Amino acid sequence: MSHIVEIKTEVRDTVGVRAACDRLRLDPPVEGKTRLFSSEVEGLAVRLRDWRYPVVFQTATGEAQYDNYNGRWGDQSRLGLFLQAYAVETAKLEARRKGHSVTEQSLTDGSIKLTVQVGGAV
Amino acid sequence: MTTSTPKTIEITVKPDGSTSLETRGFTGSECQAASRFLEQALGATASERLTSDFHQSVAANQQTTQQR
Repeated sequence: MSHIVEIKTEVRDTVGVRAACDRLRLDPPVEGKTRLFSSEVEGLAVRLRDWRYPVVFQTATGEAQYDNYNGRWGDQSRLGLFLQAYAVETAKLEARRKGHSVTEQSLTDGSIKLTVQVGGAV
Repeated sequence: MTTSTPKTIEITVKPDGSTSLETRGFTGSECQAASRFLEQALGATASERLTSDFHQSVAANQQTTQQR
């Protein structure tokens, strides 16, 4: 062990968003203007399962905009699972781009653990 | 003959999307350089903790330098 870092996941990579949508069997994201309940916003829109309105990601800043009326128009946990899928797929893409091998493991608490072998496969 | 620990980066992503990253098998500050590309790709660093292995290798380097 050398260092441990806690990271707040920010959605900034369109390729990662597409991969997360594939992983969760959601419709592909749509770039452009999206109507939410109280406003119209521009960004990358993802339609989560059973959500009334899409979640719109500003990939330039990592911010997400959505109207789910405190859970009444969409279960907040589904957004968490999307962020999990995004982080997993983005980490895998980045590690493989660097030539490292990656293995994935599901943990009993619902977490997903990736092990990146620096320098590639043994 | 000595065997070295494989260099790995472990990333754990919780169901709410929060992520922790841990490096293993690196010496000194090379762990930070090795994982930086992942940290930057995933988002904003909320906290960072250096482990005993990091400090031990830094201390060893300082001791070697003083003996010269």
